[in-house]
Amino acid sequence: MRPDDEGPLPSAPELEKALAALASPAPADFRLRVLRRAGIARDRYDSYVRVDTDAGGLYVAFGPHAVTGAMLETMVTGPDGFEELHRSRTRRTAIRATTPFPGLRTAVRTGRAKNLAIDMGHVGTEQRAVLDAVRTVPKGQLRPVSWIAREAGLDRERGERERGERECEGGDIIGRALAANPAVLLIPCHRITGEDGTPCDAAYPPGTGEALRATEGIDMTRLAELARRGAFLLGSATTHIYCHPTCAHARRITPRHQRPFHNASEARQAGYRACRSCRPLTA
Amino acid sequence: MDEQLPERLAVDLDDGFTELVRVHSAAVRTFLFRVSGSATDADDLGQETFLRAYAALRGYELQRRRELRPRAWLMTIAANVWRNHVRTNVRRPVSTTPVEDACQAWPDTAPGPEERVATAEDRVRLVSALTELPENPRIAVVLRHVVGLSYGEIAEARRCPVGTVKAQVSRGIDSLRQLLDAKAPPTREVLR
Repeated sequence: MRPDDEGPLPSAPELEKALAALASPAPADFRLRVLRRAGIARDRYDSYVRVDTDAGGLYVAFGPHAVTGAMLETMVTGPDGFEELHRSRTRRTAIRATTPFPGLRTAVRTGRAKNLAIDMGHVGTEQRAVLDAVRTVPKGQLRPVSWIAREAGLDRERGERERGERECEGGDIIGRALAANPAVLLIPCHRITGEDGTPCDAAYPPGTGEALRATEGIDMTRLAELARRGAFLLGSATTHIYCHPTCAHARRITPRHQRPFHNASEARQAGYRACRSCRPLTA
Repeated sequence: MDEQLPERLAVDLDDGFTELVRVHSAAVRTFLFRVSGSATDADDLGQETFLRAYAALRGYELQRRRELRPRAWLMTIAANVWRNHVRTNVRRPVSTTPVEDACQAWPDTAPGPEERVATAEDRVRLVSALTELPENPRIAVVLRHVVGLSYGEIAEARRCPVGTVKAQVSRGIDSLRQLLDAKAPPTREVLR
């Protein structure tokens, strides 16, 4: 019946192994209870929870008023790894909690995190503007880098410089801002593409961006097909309005009324105006 | 991380203390759980330990905070808190707390149900044997083999020579083996 037939006394190494196995994890909110009991002010530390998303577990750290950071489980080595990284980025300690930040679960479930309070910490003003622009991209839609540059006001500030230099520098800032995304998934970097329509998943591990776009219902094969034909904008022959192909209005255009355009000036020459919802660049 | 912790305690006490709790509270709780044999006691005493630690840190000079070796220091406080708790309970005995062992976390290499019952039984016997050890060897064995402190750290926490700690651990292990043998279920003899 019993597997241990080795003799009356367990050997010392076996006993030591059994003792080491007795180290049991503390309840999830034990640390939080300790801090509350000691009377540490709530704004001196961050709490964090793990929420389930379509791309695996997401650790989300938050202070009393705003979310301060988020990382996918696939990006770190366990909760300890997340705590260390959060500490080194924000200089704040993250303590495991059981209740999430108000509105967080809804934001993750619906993919609509635009109104969630996010404290980006110590990022430059330009990077902050980029990330704020990224946050306005709706669920299920994609925007090119040039759109982000305009929304973030990167092209206005450098008006006097050469156009080529400006574009290159703006792209640089955007690339760095996306890679340094402090709240992965809550700031939806997976909805940003390059000018040729390929996604720039700088902040995500491989495969994550694809999974997120798939659950948001973005049909990448159709977009790739459009891009191959050189259609980066889509107009409607009935309304004479052109959109980004993933815009909710563009998705409603019936195939026989769809008019593909390479760029805004081509659309304008054809007598089309820009959509006021997805606001594509104008010529 | 541990090298920076005392420095942070000196620079900003509240910030350093939250980090202290983050890094060391699991070990403190494990220690209290295994010496007291009760999860509820471990939770209460763990909170008490850190409350005392915080009060003590507030009274320390900056230099003293910088020279602190947090883990051993916390274990000293935890052992004292537990000893006080035991003494109070002896003076004002309440109902005997049953030995708890929530085996919530099974090992990942999941064994079959029969083996699982066997390992759970072994665990329960080991846990209750631990609580039958005398105070000093019990603390020494738990610190060394469950929490995983070095002999040097235990000696520092217990304020005694390293040799004494080694002797306590070794004697504790011996008594554990005797206790486990005495507790071995009679089914084994019946089956043979």
